[in-house]
Amino acid sequence: MIPDRGVEDLLRELAPQVLGALVRRYGQFDTCEDATQEALVRAAMRWPTEGIPDNPRGWLVTVASHRLLDEVRSHQSRRRRENAIVAATPQSELLGRPADAEPGADRDDSLTLLFLCCHPALSPPTQIALTLRAVGGLTTAQIATAFLVPEPTMAQRISRAKQSIRTSGTTFTMPEGSERAERLRAVLHVLYLLFNEGYTTTTGPDLTAPQLSDEAIRLTTWLRRLLPEDGEVAGLLALMLLTEARRSARTTPDGALVPLAEQDRSTWDRTLIGNGVALVTEALARGPVGPYQVQAAIAAVHDEAEHMDATDWPQILALYELLEQLAPGPMVTLNRAVAVAMVHGPSAGLVLLAALESDNRMVRHHRLLATRAHLLELAGEHTAAAADYREAARRATSLPERRHLTTCATRLGS
Amino acid sequence: MKYMLLIYGNQEKWSSIPAETWPEAIAKQDAFNKKYQGTGELLGAYGLADAAAARLVRRTDGTPAVTDGPYLETKEYLASFYLLDCENEQRAYEIAADMPWADVEPVEVWPVLHEAAADL
Repeated sequence: MIPDRGVEDLLRELAPQVLGALVRRYGQFDTCEDATQEALVRAAMRWPTEGIPDNPRGWLVTVASHRLLDEVRSHQSRRRRENAIVAATPQSELLGRPADAEPGADRDDSLTLLFLCCHPALSPPTQIALTLRAVGGLTTAQIATAFLVPEPTMAQRISRAKQSIRTSGTTFTMPEGSERAERLRAVLHVLYLLFNEGYTTTTGPDLTAPQLSDEAIRLTTWLRRLLPEDGEVAGLLALMLLTEARRSARTTPDGALVPLAEQDRSTWDRTLIGNGVALVTEALARGPVGPYQVQAAIAAVHDEAEHMDATDWPQILALYELLEQLAPGPMVTLNRAVAVAMVHGPSAGLVLLAALESDNRMVRHHRLLATRAHLLELAGEHTAAAADYREAARRATSLPERRHLTTCATRLGS
Repeated sequence: MKYMLLIYGNQEKWSSIPAETWPEAIAKQDAFNKKYQGTGELLGAYGLADAAAARLVRRTDGTPAVTDGPYLETKEYLASFYLLDCENEQRAYEIAADMPWADVEPVEVWPVLHEAAADL
């Protein structure tokens, strides 16, 4: 069956609203999630041929509620729960909603749902999987395909995630105060990881595998509509757009990596760059500044340079210094070393790298060696650079990176 | 990240295990497989046939040739492999250490290269 784009997009849009409404009404996140999935599947089969109902959201809520009812009927204490569900289903749900209906409740439910999927009881990969299913409206099969694992494996993970949420005793409410800020950070991190997963995965002609980076952009755009005042949400969205803009230039047709310095900048997507720059500029002006905004600003400086030599490295260096204050970490230091090398010369960058060589998190990391190799190459020390490239290739965890690093070593060695 | 766990052995070693302990050993292995399929971390567990059933395939001047082998009577050969998808290296080591055979023979843990790479 060829999925109907219009119907599929609509269903994905409605998925968190329907699930949110169900959980708000009946509790039991895990059972409601199953019921919502079944309603979505039924709609995906029927709507393309029978047409979209007048009130698609109401249709889905009704079908999902009935499914939930069937599920509850099969349980021991069925009468009591059955009554509760029947009583809780308002007749108005079955009718079309007035055009001026307040969308606020849906908005809040969807947001609560997203926050629930990023619950601290779950590991980040599980948070991602659950978010894709419950909020993104993807099927387990699609998520499994995207992560290159068998469907039963992904089904297990999602079902365990739902169990963990149930046993954690969490209620369907929005966390408050510092807990809310903490959870929002987790939500942004999940969206960031999701984008990276999609951005770095080579995408073949397989149309059934969803483009995870597109999904991350879609969900972050949606989150921004819900939280328009939040600078970090805007910053993350800007970072995604500014990175996505370079997608077609970052690999050759046969899948080999092209470093930023060698990319054909005429193929960068100017519309995405324009949107990203506007977003981050507005967010930075409003403050307070956060790590995603700074990373977006760095991406913007790169994207705005017509060619590599036109890159404003002093500004990139200043931004990395700021980022290191806001969110210190060895990877940030590594990137700052490259900026230092571009502004003050490769030996200044190498001095900074030397400090990282005693960092336990980095000592076996291929990125440290690859960066050192690059700076040594800039300094004209080709033999040492080739040795580092070769060692970095041995420690690389991905095939394209290993090939790229091996090519660099061979190029210098000859 | 995906990891491959490998277990080696040879016929002589397996013959030395008393027959009455096999059912228990198999049950332990099944329990291990079930446990990590349940966590969504074990993608597949595969036991290999005996070396007697293994063949070598070569191509000489464009013509394929299949021969018996490998003849590894004393050396150990690959006995089974497990494909994991877990959060990190530490977790892969934890699972490997939980392998029923791990207190008899070491389990090899190999990271599987993924197809994706971050920006350079």
